[in-house]
Amino acid sequence: MTYPMDTGQDCLRAWEAMPWVLQESATPEQRAGLEQHLAHCASCRAEFEQQRRLRLALSLPTDLQLDAHAGLKHLMERIDAPEREQTPHRLRYGGWLTRGLVAAVVLQAIALGALGVKFLAADQAPAYHTLSQVSAPVAPGSIRVVPDTGMSLTDWNALLHSLRLQVVGGPNDVGAYTVAPTSSTVTTQQALQQLRAVRGIRLAEPIVSTP
Amino acid sequence: MNEATLDADANDRMLLRRMATGDRVALSTLYHGYHGRLCRFLSRLTRRTDVIEEVVNDCFWIVWQKAGEFRGDSRVSTWIMGIAYRCGLKTLRLHGDEPVEDDALPEDRIPSTDPDEDRELRDWLAKGLDRLSADQRVVVELVYGVGHSLDDVATIMQCPVGTVKARLFHARVKLRNVLPALAGESKVLKESVS
Repeated sequence: MTYPMDTGQDCLRAWEAMPWVLQESATPEQRAGLEQHLAHCASCRAEFEQQRRLRLALSLPTDLQLDAHAGLKHLMERIDAPEREQTPHRLRYGGWLTRGLVAAVVLQAIALGALGVKFLAADQAPAYHTLSQVSAPVAPGSIRVVPDTGMSLTDWNALLHSLRLQVVGGPNDVGAYTVAPTSSTVTTQQALQQLRAVRGIRLAEPIVSTP
Repeated sequence: MNEATLDADANDRMLLRRMATGDRVALSTLYHGYHGRLCRFLSRLTRRTDVIEEVVNDCFWIVWQKAGEFRGDSRVSTWIMGIAYRCGLKTLRLHGDEPVEDDALPEDRIPSTDPDEDRELRDWLAKGLDRLSADQRVVVELVYGVGHSLDDVATIMQCPVGTVKARLFHARVKLRNVLPALAGESKVLKESVS
């Protein structure tokens, strides 16, 4: 790189003062110093003349044709546009990054929605019942039976078969089954008596529907 | 700062205060007052007229929105040029493209009423500015074209004053080395045409 001046401090000071003298923002001392220096330094005079030409060239209006009235009209339309129309304008230039971020947010929203549905579904069967809660409907004549833990599956199946009963629910948390007659010829009362008479049955009670 | 500059700034501040109350006539006045210098300033960053129009629109959209928040720490022109500079960089980044070279411009973009002398001056300047980086072109435009101080330019470009000084210094050194030769070139061209 060629440095601007190599002749001395005066040339450097003159070089530094030039833009501000041309701008008319230089101090009176800077201006006077430059004028004095230019009077006897041909190199800096040539440089200053070039700087003046540079400033003149940079002061010319742009050669690009831009219509201020049309621009202002677009601005006013933008100001008048409802808030919701501002978003697409911004997104228009968003590029792949914005579109990617939007896609990520949408995916997150879908995932959160799915999780929410899952949690809601899990909460549908709470671990308690309230008195006002409607119980699941049970077949008429159903009996709640608690067999002994020592009763074998074969004995339990044989007992149900002999009494023409079938399991329609259970076992619940305390090991109770809901059984119902397989035919209308069997009455609940008969089945109850026979169940209670069996040694391996700890409890047999009719299920009475709530009023 | 001379008296004319102070008067212009006082007028701009008054327009901003009116804009803060929703006065669109004030917006229109300020817009027309700045349109020319903003377009010229932005033309140092890009030659695309659609991009320049978009940046001017973005810039004045922000000025309209923030008119009431202007604290007066700097001149209004410094504030507006700073907004335009940042909008310009952002838009160029989003478009992901480089400035269009001057040579690629169709002839009809250059006003037909332009006197020969101005055209010669523009050509000379364009060739000189081509040798500079975008940051150097912006500094040269702000100092020589708009007439901002080093402090103003540092505020506009949001960088230390020392950085502005360095950019201006290097830009001037480059121009000093190429402009005389370019002036000679254009003279030769002119003579060969006539």
